Amino acid sequence: MPIITVEHLSKNFKVHTRRKGFWGSLGSIVSREHEIIKAVENVNFTLERGELVGYIGANGAGKSTTIKMLTGILVPTSGHVDVMNLTPYLHRKENARRIGVVFGQRTQLWWDLPVIDSFELLKHIYEIPENRYKQNLEFFSELLQLRPFLSTPVRKLSLGQRMRCDLTAALLHDPEILYLDEPTIGLDVVAKEQVRQFLKQINVERQVTAILTTHDLNDVEQVCGRLIIIDKGKIIYDGGIDVLKKQYGKTRMLIVDLAQPYSDIQLEGVNLTRREENRVWLAFDRDTLPASEVIAQLAARYEIQDLTISEPEIEEIVRRIYKFGMSG
Amino acid sequence: MRKYLAFSKKAFQRTLTYRFELWMELAINVLFMLIYVYLWKALYTDQTSVEGYDLNGILTYIVISQTLLTFVFTLRIARTIQAKIRGGEVATDLMKPIDFQMMTLATAVGTSIHTLLFNMLPKVVLFYVIFKLSLPPSFITVVLFILSAVLGYVILFSIEFIIGVLAFWLIEIYGIYALVIWGLHMLFSGYFLPLEFYPAFLSKVAEVLPFRAIIYIPTALYSGQLAGRNLVISLLIQLAWAIVLMALGRICYRAAFRKLVVQGG
Repeated sequence: MPIITVEHLSKNFKVHTRRKGFWGSLGSIVSREHEIIKAVENVNFTLERGELVGYIGANGAGKSTTIKMLTGILVPTSGHVDVMNLTPYLHRKENARRIGVVFGQRTQLWWDLPVIDSFELLKHIYEIPENRYKQNLEFFSELLQLRPFLSTPVRKLSLGQRMRCDLTAALLHDPEILYLDEPTIGLDVVAKEQVRQFLKQINVERQVTAILTTHDLNDVEQVCGRLIIIDKGKIIYDGGIDVLKKQYGKTRMLIVDLAQPYSDIQLEGVNLTRREENRVWLAFDRDTLPASEVIAQLAARYEIQDLTISEPEIEEIVRRIYKFGMSG
Repeated sequence: MRKYLAFSKKAFQRTLTYRFELWMELAINVLFMLIYVYLWKALYTDQTSVEGYDLNGILTYIVISQTLLTFVFTLRIARTIQAKIRGGEVATDLMKPIDFQMMTLATAVGTSIHTLLFNMLPKVVLFYVIFKLSLPPSFITVVLFILSAVLGYVILFSIEFIIGVLAFWLIEIYGIYALVIWGLHMLFSGYFLPLEFYPAFLSKVAEVLPFRAIIYIPTALYSGQLAGRNLVISLLIQLAWAIVLMALGRICYRAAFRKLVVQGG
């Protein structure tokens, strides 16, 4: 029995278009034109209890819209959402009691008050029994090392400290599902690592089902077993990360620093996938083209300063999927 | 209920963070009140009584109404709601098992209790000591005044709440806020002078609007201007406005949330 079932889910937004210029905006008062934007289109997936899924897509792909429908603050245009046997937008409060939400871009803590005060407030909002509250606070303070700044006002915390507190805030009431919207955004490498370790741990120890949206694919690679990729409102990949890597793993990447920014780089069987000043990323299929051959050809035509060969990172794979679609 | 009390407590606590701002607010309030008091003293040089207010009566009215006006300056509900809508924080509120209107009211009450204790009470005591103002006619008047002031507060809150929620549609609400609070409220709440002093047609207008229930009714009650049947009717009018405006606020925010939820932010 899945904990989340999403069937044929679609969401359209009506966006009013304003005409340009003075007369245009005057005209907009009288008659407004609008266009329909399909933010989410016929999305289907199910989540089992205890799964930890990465939900990724470019900006505007429909990630947040999906999350909003799952949390019940947005009504689908069509289709069906079932979360813990509830229809979220019809049972907003009941659903809210059993989920936790973390937004990387904003905090749910009270800015001017010590962290611990926000936690106490949450204790009342979710009516957490005193014992359970203490146990959880103890558990998370230990795991995330919150003690040194529990009585510091939130506005004085570093972003990493604040994120650890926000994670605690979302979990104090033992939610069954945790929605994380870009929880590592803006964090340094150490803080990111801390968040990832923490997510893995609570997923295993507390059986919290979690959906994680992110632009940092290392999050997904290290934390999630499963990946859902959404693009222009449609799901274009849903499956294991290993499977994705295997499917695209035939591609090798040659990263070359050239002596000068050549305007055109063309080699047979090689794709120029990225370029930053003198550095180029060249993709080729290892089965049909040995690396030695590519390097030899390259060296014959261009002046090379340095080069490295890499296995395709998940980042590179997804970049290609965004750019060329699943077939690319 | 307990969860909303927790909001009040935290809001009270938060207000303590910015003490300097609060002292400045108090200092400016006191200066304004002094100016009003001296203005009325000057106006009363050759008068013994106007519309039932003698000099002591009018000074009492001015001090009490100016004190109640402090709520108007410090509430900031409309602005807070607008900021939440603009910043998208309202989504975070919606993802919690709480009632938005009750949460906002509880938070406002917490802040206002602080204002009451550290701004309004000291002001009133100070002016009583300096100007030897008149006391209310009886103890029961004091009790009824408190009840009336609470109802006035709820009415003020409801009006600000409705204006704040309008930001769901309008995004920018300063114009409406200025019109209602700095315009209509200032004219018809009776904070500037007792409504008895208004020309007949203006006091007629004042009577059909909710604003006089915020400052005029509690202040007139305190000064002993309202008694007997008049007093009971005034309290009932306040109660009616409080219920109607709270309900209207609820309808507005339900509609706003439905719009948000159905059409997206």
